[in-house]
Amino acid sequence: SWSLFFLVSVVWVVLVCLLFCSRLLSVGAAPICTNAQAGCHALSLANLFDRVIQHSARMHGISNDLHSEFEQYFLPSKNQIGRVSRNCHTSTIFTPNGKENAQRMARQELTEVILKLLVAWRDPLWHFHQSIAHHHDFNNFSANKALEMSDMVHELRKGVEKVAEKMQMMGIISNSVSSLASPEALLPSDSAEWRLMKDYDLLYCFRRDSNKVQNYLKILKCRIVPEHGC
Amino acid sequence: MWRDLGLAVLVLLSAAVESNSTSPPGKPVLLSCRSPEKETFTCWWEPGSDGGLPTTYRLYYERERLEGVHECPDYWSAGSNSCFFNKTHTLIWVDYYLTVVASNALGNATSDIFKMDVMEIMKPNVPENVTLLVVETEDSPYLHIRWEHPRNTDTESGWVTIKYELRIKQEKNNKWKEYMSGTQSHFSLYSIAPGGVYTVQVRCKLDHGSWSEWTNSTNVKVPNYVQNERSFWILVATLSAIPFMAAMCILIVKRENVKQCVLPPVPGPKIRGVDFHLLMSGQSEDSTNALIINQNFPLIVGWKDQMEEYLIVTENDIGPPSDASHCQKRKKSLIIPAGFCSDWEIQCKSTHIQNDCAGGTKNETGNFPKNNKSLSGESLSYMEPSKLQKQQCLGQNFVNTEATDPSPLNYDNAVKPFTNSGYVDIRKHVENTQEVNVKQVDYSRVEDVNGDNVFILNNKNLAFNSSGYMDFQRQEEKLSEDYSRVKEVGSNNVVVLQIQDMSADTKNPHATGAHKMGVCTELINSEYIDTIPAPPLM
Repeated sequence: SWSLFFLVSVVWVVLVCLLFCSRLLSVGAAPICTNAQAGCHALSLANLFDRVIQHSARMHGISNDLHSEFEQYFLPSKNQIGRVSRNCHTSTIFTPNGKENAQRMARQELTEVILKLLVAWRDPLWHFHQSIAHHHDFNNFSANKALEMSDMVHELRKGVEKVAEKMQMMGIISNSVSSLASPEALLPSDSAEWRLMKDYDLLYCFRRDSNKVQNYLKILKCRIVPEHGC
Repeated sequence: MWRDLGLAVLVLLSAAVESNSTSPPGKPVLLSCRSPEKETFTCWWEPGSDGGLPTTYRLYYERERLEGVHECPDYWSAGSNSCFFNKTHTLIWVDYYLTVVASNALGNATSDIFKMDVMEIMKPNVPENVTLLVVETEDSPYLHIRWEHPRNTDTESGWVTIKYELRIKQEKNNKWKEYMSGTQSHFSLYSIAPGGVYTVQVRCKLDHGSWSEWTNSTNVKVPNYVQNERSFWILVATLSAIPFMAAMCILIVKRENVKQCVLPPVPGPKIRGVDFHLLMSGQSEDSTNALIINQNFPLIVGWKDQMEEYLIVTENDIGPPSDASHCQKRKKSLIIPAGFCSDWEIQCKSTHIQNDCAGGTKNETGNFPKNNKSLSGESLSYMEPSKLQKQQCLGQNFVNTEATDPSPLNYDNAVKPFTNSGYVDIRKHVENTQEVNVKQVDYSRVEDVNGDNVFILNNKNLAFNSSGYMDFQRQEEKLSEDYSRVKEVGSNNVVVLQIQDMSADTKNPHATGAHKMGVCTELINSEYIDTIPAPPLM
């Protein structure tokens, strides 16, 4: 009976492994793309939007946490500031600051704004993470969050680009968005303004910008594919 | 000049009169700002002391990306000491710097700068129209709770994402149970207690802002509709409990029997032919005897029915015994303990001297010593039974403790003729007296019969004289009248003996079978058994 039990357990383990492997393989088999060509896995626009919105929500959450940590330890009181003119390096990008403004803005424009913001934050966040990792004042938790945040900006940008691609394909927006293929040329990020910003200000600005991104994506989604969750 | 002095005195006097209750206003404090839907916001401040004079409060703000200082656009919509910013004046994701200035006739007071961003001050109004409904399905009822979003929030355009939370309390306990509802404006609570009263409250929040206040409590009472079922089940339970209790009582009362049945006593190890208690309490010799006996004599069942032939061995040419007719096989029960017989039987068969009653005894005698010698190397216990096929006594176990004694025992004329009995006499004449002295042959007597053919041996050495002869004669004469042949063995220690007329034996001085008879007579319980008068078999 012992040999039988052993055999049965081996068979069971093998089956479970096969099941997992098949799942993994099937999930990683085809990359996501906006058109169903070239052997990739096409998602619906609503699905794509949901993914990027969730991603942006998570990114904003992390930035919120980091900002609170900084505020607690490094900034004594926010009322003391007076008129600190905080100038985020992205303030040159025109972003709608109200609901009507955002709704009035064209989808294409709004998509461009989102992409500009995401592109503008890629380098600063990377350097922020580096500076945190080298300062031993911060615990590993903060450093990990900073790294995650920096990665997320990168991923989110790619996701939004895919959304834009799909929208273009569907004719929702015109082709001019693709001119953002090399958006770095348009943006002030290479002016290195952000290098002058202190860490706290950087976090403050990013918290705001990540909230903008999340909100704009939601507005776009509810305008274009309002099926669920609006 | 005098007039100026007079005026100054008057002013000073009036000022002195009023100076106790008037002063410049105290510093106001900006308490908080709040935006219920991310489109407008309101700020409140707390006035300081007003210094006894009518004091006015003005709120000024500066904004990121806006030049200049601006004043609050609406002081009244949100109540006193508040400032309401409508949609046109509200911008998200920009910093506002607010100050409140209190001024009265005597001076001003400015509050600290309050910095805020509308993104940070979001707190919605309470949800509305909370309704409770008890949905009665077949299996079990559940509570369905619905509500609506606060009136002014716009949840459809995606501008805000609203999340709900509710808490439910049953009337009995004071503890709230909280549930997250996500973005749904309804909730179902399962497994509610019939007859219970439930209280529900809901609240919501926008994006990452603060939670709103709880709504007012809404109550609902779940109807008691399962009562009939419950009484039915109570009845069923009671009825089934009665036989259960009865069964338990019976089990308890008869627990011994139950124990016997469920846990039968495990039989202890038992060796056939040996009484364990006797072994424990008896002498060592007894026990060794018992063990040896048992070793040597494996079981035979049904020995009772075996046919038995008499072996008639005569020394001289007496001729066939007169009772040749008795040579026919007789059904006789050889009263030998079952454990003893098989070897005897084997030996009997193997050493079967022509049992042919008609044959010459010479052959028999001639064969006998030969057989003797052939058997000499074997144990005496084997030999004797072969000659004593007509052994009829109970418990005739000639156990030779030196069962493996290789020394041959010479028999001289061990065979004496019987004419009237079939017993073969063996006289053991041991030449080596020393041996005999050293190794005494132990003959055991049956002391008790137990169960199936188990004989408890009484290890008493019969009297041996140095010559090795058993003292037969004495006993023989004494016991000849009691010399019995066992005819039959009953089931429960019943031995049926036959009385034999052994008077003919008395003339034979070597009716040494008598010694066996002597043993015979010391049968069960060491009592003489009255023999049943019967015609002698031989």
